[in-house]
Amino acid sequence: MRRARPLLGTYVEIDAAGLAGPALERAIEAAFGAVARVHRLMSFHDPESDLSRLNRRAVAEPVAVDRWTAKVLAKARTLFDETCGLFDCAVGAELMRCGRLPSHGLGNIASGTFAAVEFMSDDRIRFSAPIAIDLGGIAKGFAVDRAIAALRAHGVREALVNAGGDLRVMGKTAQTIHIRCPGLDGRAIQAGLLRNAAIATSEAAATVVKQRARSASSQCAHHAYSVVASTCLLADALTKVLVQTEDPSAGYFSKFGAIAFVTSADALEDRVA
Amino acid sequence: MKSSQWVWLPVAVISTSVHATTYFSVEQVQRALFPGATFSATSLPNAWRTSNGGYVIVDRVIGKHEYITLAVGINPNGTVKQIEIMQYQESYGYEVREASWRAQFVGKSASSPLQLNGDIINIGGATLSSRHVTEGVKRILQVYEQNLKGKR
Repeated sequence: MRRARPLLGTYVEIDAAGLAGPALERAIEAAFGAVARVHRLMSFHDPESDLSRLNRRAVAEPVAVDRWTAKVLAKARTLFDETCGLFDCAVGAELMRCGRLPSHGLGNIASGTFAAVEFMSDDRIRFSAPIAIDLGGIAKGFAVDRAIAALRAHGVREALVNAGGDLRVMGKTAQTIHIRCPGLDGRAIQAGLLRNAAIATSEAAATVVKQRARSASSQCAHHAYSVVASTCLLADALTKVLVQTEDPSAGYFSKFGAIAFVTSADALEDRVA
Repeated sequence: MKSSQWVWLPVAVISTSVHATTYFSVEQVQRALFPGATFSATSLPNAWRTSNGGYVIVDRVIGKHEYITLAVGINPNGTVKQIEIMQYQESYGYEVREASWRAQFVGKSASSPLQLNGDIINIGGATLSSRHVTEGVKRILQVYEQNLKGKR
């Protein structure tokens, strides 16, 4: 059974099998429910989300957040530390400045880093500087993981959840994965078979780079940066590191048990010529 | 993570198919949005009134690279109950490049349900925006306000 809904600013598709119709429908409904919950908690656009409340108030006082939000922030902190700051969700100021995010009600935001996020307790967060965080580089992956967990809790053993390109497969069957590569006019490159793991892909144009870890090159606009990892949260987050380093062999990936690779339209033309 | 989770294949692109997926027919999506209800025609060909006073409206939106048919379930009080995508179709085809490795690949994954469903379903890549769907839903709600709301 396959279903798709518009969530997280993209199309979320869930494909699950192995249960009778009504049970499968309930499982898929629960999985979409988990994605919708992540959407509500971590949307930058919704002024009532945990994320918006943090961005408005956490510099003044500790803000209590849902345990899912706290979990994503804790993971984001680990990734920030382990990638020497290359993975940094404190990009709200940059994204608002270039018009990619609305600046509703956020007047006094300054550039900063995720180091300003302080965990007062399990679910109380404070900012030590007037930063704005955006979880666009990690929440989608987390939502995919929660959807898979919801399906598993309902007894599903074979499933695929694809949030507009960030996807995770569960079960014994290996699934063929294609990568949509910028510069190929929508043609997809077959990348391989994936089993019980996640893959996420970013393009350079969709990633805000704060540290100039690489020289700007026009070539990178035609590349797709993919990471395969055990969870979609890790895969999603680490693509942002790959876009910046452009080095799939960098130690950041093996540290998290992940595999990184870059797909290039040019390389494809060479290979099929 | 074990390396067996990711099986490398030698080359590239391939498929004749336009990437298209049908999730629901009209009858199926009516039942999914309002289980147990019955549906009657309205003055609009793409809208149905449910036995409890809700509505199902079907419309098509065109995105940058995709066509999407969606259904919006509207509660009797006019709020959105649920949005379901009925069909997703990319507006371009995928280039075909038959290569010798392909036969080998098909053999390896012959048991995969993917092969039964069609050529391409699992597409990664930079995130597609669903902004057009959001705009489409707004349009559908305007149609509801102007043509259906409060009518019996």
